[in-house]
Parts: sequence; structure tokens; C-alpha cells
Amino acid sequence: MNTELKMITVDKLRKEFKKTVKEPGLKGSIKSLFRPKTEKVIAVQDISFEVGQGEILGFIGPNGAGKSTVIKMLTGILTPTAGSCTINGKNPTQNRRSYVKEIGVVFGQRTQLWWDLPLRETYSVLKEIYEVPEDSYKKRMDFLTEVLELDRFITSPVRTLSLGQRMRADIAASLLHSPKVLFLDEPTIGLDVVVKENIRRAIEHINRQEQTTVILTTHDLADIEQLSKRIVMIDKGVKVFDGTIASLKQQYGQIREMSFEADSPKAAAVLNYAEHFGLSEDNFSVEAEGKSVKVRFNSAAVPVSEMLSYTLGKISVSDISVKDADIEEIIRRLYEQGVEE
Amino acid sequence: MKTIRRMFRIHRIFLVQELKRMMEYKGDFVVGIIGFLLIQLSNLLFLWIIFSQIPDLEGWSISEIIFIYGLSLIPKGIDHFFFDNLWSIGYFIVRKGDFDKYLTRPVNTLFHVLVEKIQIDALGELIMGIVLVCSSVAGLQVEWDAFRIIGMILIIPFITLIFTGIKTITAAIAFWTKRSGNVIYMFYMFNDFAKYPATIYSRWVQNIITYIIPFALTSYFPALFILKGENPLFNLGMPVLASLVLMTAGILVWNKGLKAYESAGS
Amino acid sequence: MKKRLRIYWPFVNAGLQEVASYRVNWIFFMLGEALSCVVMYFIWSAVYHSGGGGVMNGFTMSQMIVYLVMIFLTRTLIDSDVSFTVGEEIRDGSIIMRMLKPVSYNATFLFHELGGKLPTTIALSGPMIIAVEIIRTVLDGTFQFSVGSLLLYIVSCVLAYLINFYFNICFGFAAFVIKYLWGANMMKNVLVGFFSGAVIPLSFLPEWLERVFLFLPFASLNYTPVMIYMGQYAGAEIVYFMGLQVFWVLFFCGLSKLLWKVSVKRLTVQGG
Repeated sequence: MNTELKMITVDKLRKEFKKTVKEPGLKGSIKSLFRPKTEKVIAVQDISFEVGQGEILGFIGPNGAGKSTVIKMLTGILTPTAGSCTINGKNPTQNRRSYVKEIGVVFGQRTQLWWDLPLRETYSVLKEIYEVPEDSYKKRMDFLTEVLELDRFITSPVRTLSLGQRMRADIAASLLHSPKVLFLDEPTIGLDVVVKENIRRAIEHINRQEQTTVILTTHDLADIEQLSKRIVMIDKGVKVFDGTIASLKQQYGQIREMSFEADSPKAAAVLNYAEHFGLSEDNFSVEAEGKSVKVRFNSAAVPVSEMLSYTLGKISVSDISVKDADIEEIIRRLYEQGVEE
Repeated sequence: MKTIRRMFRIHRIFLVQELKRMMEYKGDFVVGIIGFLLIQLSNLLFLWIIFSQIPDLEGWSISEIIFIYGLSLIPKGIDHFFFDNLWSIGYFIVRKGDFDKYLTRPVNTLFHVLVEKIQIDALGELIMGIVLVCSSVAGLQVEWDAFRIIGMILIIPFITLIFTGIKTITAAIAFWTKRSGNVIYMFYMFNDFAKYPATIYSRWVQNIITYIIPFALTSYFPALFILKGENPLFNLGMPVLASLVLMTAGILVWNKGLKAYESAGS
Repeated sequence: MKKRLRIYWPFVNAGLQEVASYRVNWIFFMLGEALSCVVMYFIWSAVYHSGGGGVMNGFTMSQMIVYLVMIFLTRTLIDSDVSFTVGEEIRDGSIIMRMLKPVSYNATFLFHELGGKLPTTIALSGPMIIAVEIIRTVLDGTFQFSVGSLLLYIVSCVLAYLINFYFNICFGFAAFVIKYLWGANMMKNVLVGFFSGAVIPLSFLPEWLERVFLFLPFASLNYTPVMIYMGQYAGAEIVYFMGLQVFWVLFFCGLSKLLWKVSVKRLTVQGG
């Protein structure tokens, strides 16, 4: 992997939409027909980041954060309002047709396959569209068929494929012209665990073998944990985190979760961590449901040992355990907190 | 030159795919063709009933009317056959955000949309148009010289583009409004006027269908030249000019629309 | 009764909402539809001019104009898309969802469609009836509006809509046997259009054909209401043709119930 070489450079990328505001009623819609009232919505606000060649970047954020808008600007579908993005030295909106030959795009919720025809036909059409020479097409198909295990259904009409098969077929379609950058938008959406695993392995394989740079957006953080070393997270159009998963864990990962069963609900009420340790809300939360209690705390503020001895000293408990917050938990917290800068 | 060769190649590939698709749904297509034939048959029955009541229609014999009617179906059928996909742009492709696909492909978007699908149902119109033109010949007093025959054949691609141009302009409106299917429909329906001699319409209707939404140029004016040898410069020249203007306008509006296009979703 | 209707209010409302959100589109669609009416007007003017004016098969030129406008209005009012909806639901299996609801299958469609019709009816009927009366008064020099004819027309339209609705339900069930629903639907529309007098008044047909067409259910859709409004039918004829309408409503309603039972059986036996 050569992360020194920058494949993608995003610089203060910004996208504003004009949203027409409709007044209610018939009069309102006639009015909006002739003189529409518009409102400016900032979907993406001056986002910058870089991606090295051969890197798999996890691009995450809650719903409506502006992920798709960024991806659409990077793929040349939308024109940025301001800022720029350069991919392999090219600008997506200038000379779109030559640019898109360098990228492959998979939108998990849509397909670019020819619905009514055997899968093989889609590839033969894409071969022409992307002007892939005959001999490299053959080699390419052999490679993709093997990695994505297409041989079982390559002669079946696309409409008869299962969701997992369709996704593999779609990924193959996006890779036919050997793009340098692959955009995967929710590639595992709606798939079961085994199929997800297959797809992740294939992506990893292709990335390792071909040094393909991958930008991956997903809601399934297991995808990210397995595939990417680095993540960029955005929320409400603003970048909130950019770094390796390790540093994310370090930065936010001092969070521990202690859970135990108290003798009775009343007994648990005796505990008052916030007062005892002088903890603020950022560092501490408690969830009690009957006898079972969950305490999340920042181990930088209170060492685990003190937490345990305080608890055990106050009441008698059964089944006590302390664990690291996993990445899912960290990101959930980040999403909930939102941007507070 | 290289781009034009590539366009022809891609068009051919798409056509082959579409023909394969059709083989999968043969029954649907036969029923569709028969359906469009029936529409035309019901209109013909109407004409036949009318002409059983009157000797001629404002000086036009039934053979002449049938010729004009038949000629109007030919460009309509060809456009319908090759470029039907524009309707989908207006009705759902843009609205559902499926237009993104075209933007990620290294092909001109308008070209891609135009050649991606064919509509076999259109054969119902096309066949009927050719049959009507041919069958009207016996009843016409026309000297079929080379000039007429070549003129008629050469004008067909241009009058087809009048249909395609109007559809392109109105379909592209969807880039701003998300959906323009019924706008296409409204303008497309003006082709109904093309089926009959323009002289039966009032002055202002004639002006609209000659100069603004020029469907009269797709049939009546070429027919004036073919049937009566009148003014070839206007009767053939105007359709050519109009088709070029409309198609150019279509491309310009389309490209402007692409810039305004904001794909669905967040 | 009131309570039973209230169950269906959500369906009416859903239909209303759909139309409301596509208002501008609807206007363009109606304008497109109206264009063929304009073309027909010019053709008939040419025909009457070439035929030396006067009466043709019981229609003067001004009556022909009224006929065109009223056919346009009637077609729009009694239009029903339900065959397509039923066919699609059968094809994708979602018809089962309707079977699970504790309401009548046909009625859910009926009320949904009526909801969509409400705004159309309000927006079109008044202006078009007024337009027709102005045209008649100007062209003929006499005011011919009759409240009785209007009321009979309304009743006849309701019957026509019910015939059309149940006929289309029956046709939609054909999706169980016909695969090519889109094409078949188009053919149906063409044939129904011609048989119902939407292309040309049935009195222009050869007499034997006219008789056959008048008895078929299709004349009850457009021709009967329009002829009643125009005062072309006298007392006994009105009773006969409206009686025929009632007969066809009952016929198709019964048939649709029968087909529904057969289909439910098929669905439960085949498991969808």
C-alpha cells in the first residue's frame, strides 16, 4: 500500500441546494408555479480530506449527514457549489466522460444491470460502453468471475438473482474497466451475515491485488472494522472525525461499560457516581432497568479499579463485568452528540 | 469521425440487447403491436364512415386524406420505435434518481438515453402508416417522378426528428421539475393535428402547428409537395429547418438541464 | 351505514391526496386530452361544411359540438384505472394484503378511486356544462338548458361509472390468465372507446351495427348519458336505456364478485 501517493484530494467541498418553499393551498401552488420562493440549504459544508492510493476509506455519518451528496460530487453526478475535488489528477465535472472511466460506482440500492437479460449480457454491453479491448475483457471477466463467484448465475436473467448475487454482479460491473477508484455506497445493505462476509472478502481481495482505492459508505460498522483502517465521519454536512480506527478508539474509546445486577432496584438507588467522583455528563451515563444497571464512564476520568471498588463497597451485586465500548458504541455516541463546535 | 463510429457501434449493441429482451417477452410485444394497430384502425373506421356521408373533405379526396394520415404515422412510428425512452425520463427516471446511472458512464447522456431502449409496439403505427401510404397511391393522380420519390424518402429522417426534438425539450424539463411526463404528453398530442390537411383548421391553429409546435411539417407540408408538386423549397425546406432547430434546441435545453439536475435523495 | 362509510374514508382521502400532489401534472394531462377534442371539432366543421350543413344522422353541427364536449366530460368523469391496479396487484401478489383487511375488496378500490375523482369532477363539470350551454345558446339562438336532463345525466353518469368500474375489476382479474396486461388493457380501451360512441356517434353506424352496439354494455358508458343530456332520447327511451344501465351494473357487479371468489380460491389453493 502506498498511502504517500494521494489518489483523492477533497478541498473545502461545498454544496448548497435551493429548496422551493411551497405555501399551502391551491393559491400557494399557483404562486410557486410562477414565482417560486426558495430557501438555501447547505448539504455539505467545506469538507476536506485526502485518500491515498490503495487505501480503503470508510465514509460514515448518520442519515441525512450529506454522505451521498459528497459521493455524488466525487463521482461527477453533482457539481459542487464551491471547493474542489481531484481524483487521480482529474476534476470530475470537467470532461466527465473521460473521468468516469477511472472510477467504478456501486449504489447498493440501485442496479446498473440489464434487468431482463442474462447477466453475461450486461458485461458485454459495458465492455463496449467503456471500450475495454477484447483480450483484457476476457482476462478481466475470468478474474472477476473467480473473486466474486459469478459462475453459478452468470447465465441467469438478472431479475432472477438473489440480492446478494445481484450485489456481487453489480460490483463486478463497476470493476470491468479496471477503475483506479471504486465507490461503494451501502454495498451490504439488506444482506444476511454470510453474504456480507463474502462481499467484504471480495472487496478486500480486489483492493489488495489491484491497489484499487475504495471509498466505502455504509451503516454496517462491521464493514468498516473489517475493511478500512481509516474513517472520515461527517454530520450535518461537516466533517467531525478523520483518522484511523485506532485513533478513534483512543480519542473516544476511553469509554468503558460496567454492568451488574443489584440485589433489588432499591439497592441500586444508593449509588451516586456523579457526586462521588464529581463526574460531568460527558464522561458518564447510567442506565438502570429494575435490578440490572449499566454504567458508561470515561476511564481517563475515573480508573476502572476505583469504579469497581466504590460499587462493590456500597452494595452487594452479582454478575459484574466491565468491557471496552466497541466502535459501534463510540460512533453511536458521536452521532447522538452531533456537532458541538 | 471516430466518435460517430463509436456511437453507431453502441447503438447497434443496444439494439441487439433489446431484440434479445424482446424474445423473452414475445407475447407482450405482439399484443402491444396489435393494440397500436387497433387504435389506428378505429380512427380509419371513423374516416371511412365520414367519407361515406360526403364526397370530399374541403376539397380533399379520401385517397389524399389517407395519404396524409398514413404519412403522419411514419415519422411518429419511427420516433416511437427508437426514442421512446424519453418518456421514462419525464415520468420516472429523474424523479426516482435513476438518472445517476447515465452520469457515471463514459457516454453522452442524451445519446445513451435515446438509444438504450426500443419500443416494438411502434410497429403498429409504422406498419399502418406504410400500408396506408401505399394503398392510397392507386387513388391518387400523382406522377411519381424520381424527384418526388427521393424527396419523400429523404424527408423522413428530418420529420422524425421533429417528434424527437419536441420530446427532448419537454423531457428535459424534468431536470428542473423532477417530472415532466404530462408536459411531454401535452405537446406530443399536437401531432393529432398532423393527421389531416392543415386547411381544415382555423388560421391561428395553422400558424401554431406550422411555426410553433410544427407538427404540420411532419405530414401535411411534405404531402403538399408530393401530391401537388407545390413549392418544394418551403414544403420540404421548412421541415428540414424545423427539425434541425428543434433538435439543436433539445440538446441545448438538455445540457442546461444537466447542470440544474440534482439527483434524488440526500 | 354511516359507520360503514367511515371505514372507507381513509381510502377516499388517500385518493384525494394523490391527486392533490400532482395537480400541475394533471392540468397538462387534461390539456393534452383536450387537444384531440379540438382536432375533432375542426374535422366535424369540415365535414358539415363539405356536406352542405344541415342534419347528419340526427345531429346538427352545433349538436355535434355539444356531443364532443359532453363525451369528453363524460369519459373523464366515468374513467376507471382499476383494471390496471387490480392486474398489478395480482401480478406482484400484493392483492393478498387487501384480502387481509376487514373491508370489501371491491369497495376499497371504489372509494380510493372516488377520492381521486372528487377534485376532477368539481373542477371540470361546472365549467364544461356552462360552456356547453353558452355554445348551444350562441349557435342556435335558443336557451336549451333543462334541469331535468341535467339530473338524469348525473344519475346516468353514476350508473355508467359503476358499470365501468365493475367491468374493469372483471378485466383486471384476467391477469390471472392473461400475461400481457398492458397491451390487453390498451386494446380494451380502443374497443371500448369505439363501441361507446367516443370516436363517432353510434347513429352514424349502419343501422344493424348501431342496434348491436346500443345493446352492448359499452353504449351505456358514454353514449347513453350524453344522449340523455342532449335531449336526444324521449321518455320511453330514457327509461329503457337507463334500465339497461342498471342491468349492466348488476351484471358486472355480480360477475366481479364471482371472479373474486374464484380468485380467492385459486390464491389459497396455489398459495399465491
